[in-house]
Amino acid sequence: MSTELRWPVGDPIVLDDRERLSFRVDRRAYTDDDLAEREMTRIFDRCWLYVGHESEVPAPGSYVARDVGGRPVVMARGSDGVIRVFANSCPHRGALICSQPAGRARSFRCPYHDWTFSNRGDLVGVPIPDGYGPSFRKADFGLAQHRSDSYRGFVFVTFDPRQPRTLTEYLAGATEYLDLIDDQSEVGMEVIQGAQLHGARANWKLMMENSVDIYHFRALHKRYVGYMESLGSVPPRRRGGFGRALGWGHGANELPPAAARPLAYWTPMFGAEVRPRIEATAARFVDRFGAERAERITGTNRALLIFPNLMIIDAIAITIRKIDPIGAGQMAITSVALAPKDEDPDIRELRKSHYLTFLGPAGFATPDDIEIIESCQRGYLNRAVRYSDLSRGMNKAVPETTDELPAREFWRQWDRLMYGDDEHPEVVQRVERQGAEVR
Amino acid sequence: MTIELTVDDTAQVRLWHRVSQFLFREARLLDEWRLLEWYDEMLTDDIRYAVPATDVRDEADALGLIDDDAARLRQRVEQLLAGEVWCENPRSRTHRMISNVEVLIDRGTHLDVVANVVVHRFGHRRSDVYVGKYRFALVVDGESFRIRRRVVVLDHETLVEHGKLSIIL
Repeated sequence: MSTELRWPVGDPIVLDDRERLSFRVDRRAYTDDDLAEREMTRIFDRCWLYVGHESEVPAPGSYVARDVGGRPVVMARGSDGVIRVFANSCPHRGALICSQPAGRARSFRCPYHDWTFSNRGDLVGVPIPDGYGPSFRKADFGLAQHRSDSYRGFVFVTFDPRQPRTLTEYLAGATEYLDLIDDQSEVGMEVIQGAQLHGARANWKLMMENSVDIYHFRALHKRYVGYMESLGSVPPRRRGGFGRALGWGHGANELPPAAARPLAYWTPMFGAEVRPRIEATAARFVDRFGAERAERITGTNRALLIFPNLMIIDAIAITIRKIDPIGAGQMAITSVALAPKDEDPDIRELRKSHYLTFLGPAGFATPDDIEIIESCQRGYLNRAVRYSDLSRGMNKAVPETTDELPAREFWRQWDRLMYGDDEHPEVVQRVERQGAEVR
Repeated sequence: MTIELTVDDTAQVRLWHRVSQFLFREARLLDEWRLLEWYDEMLTDDIRYAVPATDVRDEADALGLIDDDAARLRQRVEQLLAGEVWCENPRSRTHRMISNVEVLIDRGTHLDVVANVVVHRFGHRRSDVYVGKYRFALVVDGESFRIRRRVVVLDHETLVEHGKLSIIL
């Protein structure tokens, strides 16, 4: 190998040159095992991370067990109705105290020695207790409870006891978009049963970038666009749309619907039968929220990136996509659909059908996204090409959705967390709002 | 020693044989990418093709991985044949193994059939295996059948390794 192809250790990964309107990311960020390991401690051990939606634990005793930031956790609603997030590991010797992915239980029993914990996390049963001395107190051996909180039904956890921000502070401008999603029902939103559990042989950050990249849409997703047009999808009545920076690495694209929205933007592809119902819903939202906000809630699509690994895409259906790294070159993807609890059954069927048309491992679009990011990952094997370019829209005060502002915001926060000042992250923090990039 | 079959037994063996041959032919057409032939000759006009999710398999209201009506399945076939599915261009090679074929219910004109299936897929430097159960509703069509409902229940916990499901299982 020639020496030119070697990269000096310690070179910056993110090259953000606002003078020259250039933004480049060193492709080691996608391939380097040491960086992948560093991400787990510098990013996933520190940020607020999405666990699940409150509707997934609807009743006292309901729980789900899943991995968050590489750690097995249990999100449980206790008999007292409070949602808590526990380490899924017995305080005694470490086995998983919950091996069912979801269910309802008054208590969790570790199968190893039958230590039993209430659904509030208290140790309530230890077999043969006379093996312990007087200093043994059950209160010292409850399930480890993580700091968790929820915003509009979205439950997050942080593993960093020193995380200086509350969840709401951390979410920053992203709360505005979570409001636009949760406002879609007066009685609440719910996750529809049935998760699409898949993945990709690519670095997790490629899926985050892809999820806020609308530039690729008409190129990569020709077959989806073609199918939608054959169903009677019409071009948006409004042009435009824009990308926004929301603080702490979060970002969003907001744009007129390209096809239709079950709540509530009817076009002929939904069929004449449901038209009155969808238009009545739209009118009801005008009454509740006023014309302008109603239009934003019901008549606008959005893709929201919440740093580091949550995407919520609200278009012809709403998908919550949690993306988990598995080393540098593999990821797990968990996608679920979110919908109003009080949705009309016919419209729910339409929503599910269109969700499947686009999304998931067998949709008409997602498999192409997965194929293309796997292709990028393979392309990086040729290290002669060192950087990826993410500069689109740096020349504009308000970048468009076909620009790359949300991805840049993601990378800037990634860079701050990976290489910034641990004790004083604010020193390097620079929040950009309203799509205007500070120069 | 010979085993004498009753008239009923003989009819059942014949039916089982015809159903198995039908499933084997379907597997061959799919493996040989003769998808239009498959679509035109082996399915009813109101075909439903579904692959349930891998976490919730038996809930009617749950979201799955695939729930195609005839129009969307036709579209899927055309996209695959036109080379528009990037991960199937060039086409993967698939190899279906079908066994444990059982006719669960025989209503004369309608049959409920189950079978085990393993689909191996090779291409794009990958080898994927999909393991599951076929649940078919067949309609008798002259000497042969047509598929009215075609459900493939995967046994995998997740498709993290596969990433995508780009072929017709």
